Amino acid sequence: MKKGYPRFFLLPGLILLIAIIIFPLLFTIRVTFSSWNVSQTGLNFIGGENWAEMARDTRYWGSMLRLFYLSFLTVAIQYALGFAIALFAWKGIAARRFFRVLWLIPMMTTPSLMAIIWRSIFTEDIGALNGLLSRVGLNPVNWLTESGPANIAITIVEVWQWTPFMFLILLAGLLSLPKEPFMAAAIDGASAWKTFARVTFPMMAPISIGAIMIRLIDASKIFDSVFTMTRGGPGNATETPAAYIFQRSLQDFQIAYGSTLALMYLILAILTLTIIGKVFARLSKPRGI
Amino acid sequence: MYKVLKATFITIWSLFVLFPIMWAITTSFKPESAVVNGATFIPFLEFQPSLIGWKAILPGAYGLSRFTYGWKNYSNADIIFFFVSQRIMPPVVLAIPFFLLLKELKLLDTHLGLILVLTSGLMPIVVWLMVDFFNALPREIDEMAMLEGCNPIQAFFRTILPLSKPGLTVAGMFCVIFGWNDVFFALTLTATKVLTLPVAVIALNGTVTPYWILAASTVFSIIPLVGLAFVIERFLSRGNLGGAVR
Amino acid sequence: METLAEQFDERYQVSLILKNVSVTTEKDGVILDDISFEFKPGRIYILIGRTTSGKTSLMRAIAGLLPIDSGEITMNGVDFDEKPIWERDVAVVYQQFINYPNKTVLQNVEFPLLRKGLKKSEAREVALASINKVGLSDYLDRKPSQLSGGQQQRVALARSLSRKSHIMLLDEPLMNLDYKLREQLRVEFKEIFNSQKDAVTIYATTEPPEALILGAEILVMHEGRIVQYGSPTEVYEQPQSTTVARVISDPPMSILPVSISAGEIRFSDGYSQPIPAKMKNFKEGRYEVGIRANDIVSAKSGGEKGTISLVEVSGSETLVYVDTPAGEVVLQMEGIHDVKVGESISVELPSNRLFLFETNGALCVSPDGAGE
Repeated sequence: MKKGYPRFFLLPGLILLIAIIIFPLLFTIRVTFSSWNVSQTGLNFIGGENWAEMARDTRYWGSMLRLFYLSFLTVAIQYALGFAIALFAWKGIAARRFFRVLWLIPMMTTPSLMAIIWRSIFTEDIGALNGLLSRVGLNPVNWLTESGPANIAITIVEVWQWTPFMFLILLAGLLSLPKEPFMAAAIDGASAWKTFARVTFPMMAPISIGAIMIRLIDASKIFDSVFTMTRGGPGNATETPAAYIFQRSLQDFQIAYGSTLALMYLILAILTLTIIGKVFARLSKPRGI
Repeated sequence: MYKVLKATFITIWSLFVLFPIMWAITTSFKPESAVVNGATFIPFLEFQPSLIGWKAILPGAYGLSRFTYGWKNYSNADIIFFFVSQRIMPPVVLAIPFFLLLKELKLLDTHLGLILVLTSGLMPIVVWLMVDFFNALPREIDEMAMLEGCNPIQAFFRTILPLSKPGLTVAGMFCVIFGWNDVFFALTLTATKVLTLPVAVIALNGTVTPYWILAASTVFSIIPLVGLAFVIERFLSRGNLGGAVR
Repeated sequence: METLAEQFDERYQVSLILKNVSVTTEKDGVILDDISFEFKPGRIYILIGRTTSGKTSLMRAIAGLLPIDSGEITMNGVDFDEKPIWERDVAVVYQQFINYPNKTVLQNVEFPLLRKGLKKSEAREVALASINKVGLSDYLDRKPSQLSGGQQQRVALARSLSRKSHIMLLDEPLMNLDYKLREQLRVEFKEIFNSQKDAVTIYATTEPPEALILGAEILVMHEGRIVQYGSPTEVYEQPQSTTVARVISDPPMSILPVSISAGEIRFSDGYSQPIPAKMKNFKEGRYEVGIRANDIVSAKSGGEKGTISLVEVSGSETLVYVDTPAGEVVLQMEGIHDVKVGESISVELPSNRLFLFETNGALCVSPDGAGE
């Protein structure tokens, strides 16, 4: 008897979804079978050539691998650190509200703009970091001109930027936990570590998983920090798929090939994240029963 | 011993958090930095895209909360998942077709174009937040409104919506942050007429500009969002975010 | 024989008729089972039954909040199936005081009136009158969260009353209020309902005393069916089945299995009593007898012997639960007695106060009415 009303409500969202995501996606799929680029615009048909070329594209797969490492590493660090400070901000220290605000700040900043700042910090000759290091007696590091340190630099930036996100979600979760199990643990005389391992951590499991999944999804798209701070450099050392595809398709204007790379990127992202999601789901099921 | 470790850790982390920002602030006060660049770029640009996208998604979220869609084999949870999973979509995948599309429609480098595109990124967040939020509001209120003569649309606008202010605020905040910070779409789809803050600053970055000007503009653009940090903390302490995060 | 005047009187046509209404869900099974009833305007109907008996579901079906699987509901000749909720003109008062939290008391009561199409000034007048009737004129500008439970319920009531809908449903509206308030509002309800001349008023409750005080007609519901309806006296004195007897009796009626043979009623432990006159004509065999708590008498000796298992003192009465070999028996004693759990006690079950039921629960004889 509600007649058409449910549909009416869903309509705007559905229209938006189809127009903004489905159609572009379908278009992209079609484009990958053409050779649209600077000199030749329009949709012709060249079969699977783009796909073949992609298979040979070591720079692309290199960026994929790098993304893999980068995202897992940063998310793991963010989780560990985030949980630690969440625990402190929950009830471990004095001046909690102050620290909560303080520790939220990085997330509230504009990633790309902060990356510019970071660039000035990491720059070898006049950067702040090397200055600090030499004052402490350590050797200056070629942060942005060597591939190893460059990746570390990116990791540092990502951790700085997004740990607060983990922190926020985990803190909200901690604040919503029921008090009773903790009272029981206290009565049983459990130590702080035991309480954490047996009570806090397990109860936070669903929230932890949610937070990690979201961060993984976001980390799979890393672009801002890379593009702004290193432009993928030195060379291609810090290039992520997003950065590479951006350059190829929108700067070199190889629309068709770029679309192929992009589509593959999407497929891989979906596959990987779905698998991880399922693994998590199985991990969080109670054993026995 | 543990206390010492804890204090050290907290201090180090807090310093880490503050370091870049302090660096930026102090750098911006170096000589030749009297100019605060921020004034050139209209903040207005930042808010627009976010707010419109937010409004379009709302009704969808409400419908998902209240009704059971028995559409073939898909349940509510599936539809919600469909929307929320869009988060996985890397912007770059959409940027290419959007670029071409907006070019055809002559919407490149316009407000409208950017707004339309940004809403795609906003959908997952708004749906996720608002469905949870609407679920927490008692159904009896809409029922009462319907019994008293409102059809579902009127019931929504007159009763539920006014009550949703906290949820709307949080969702709105996320939308604003998203629009404000976005680099990808702005970079791709705008050039000279319509510039968002990050893009403009990055452009400066390319040429050889003294760091201090960069720092100044960065600091200026960061301030509004840092203010948001305070707002979020208050929400947190009052437990309002608890329902949104799960 | 209706007079011409009566034939044209609108009142005689505005009936709420349910025919074979059934609702089944996957989760809970059969919720409403082939319900047919005609609710006449100007009367107060009380639905009484246990919590899962279907009272709320019935009301929700009438309101349109619960879709029905089969059967039809018509009001004034119009099939409700064609009318969505917002066109049905049904007013509901819920158990958990639902008011619009972001509107003031005055705005709350005006809202449905404005929806109905009244002009602002008219709506205000009617709303103020209604608010006056429930005694909340001093609270016009408060929001519901600033009111006490009883006051919130009254706002909900004012809102529903002012609408002058043709159907008014109240679902255990007093359940969440404290004892004193309940008594007070019950009396007020009676007055208010009597002034609603054209409306069908349906009131659901789980408490027999409430039903008996308020009702013009009582419908007893059990497991989705209407198992009996009639005036309070009828239902009270002649419960058609043990189910009804159990639902309608507070304090609970004691029901014990017996057999009738050789002019005697024999209980399961061998104790027997002579059979009362009303039951003389019944075949020998197995039956159940019922007796009200206030009809059982404690005796010095004789009668059934048992041990006290529970003592409840409520108000100025004492309820004593006694475990006897023939079954559990509840007796009500006036005043406050000093009886303890574990004590032995003898009880008498006066034959002339016994109900007789078939083993399937159907009523055969009731002490106050005529026999079968």
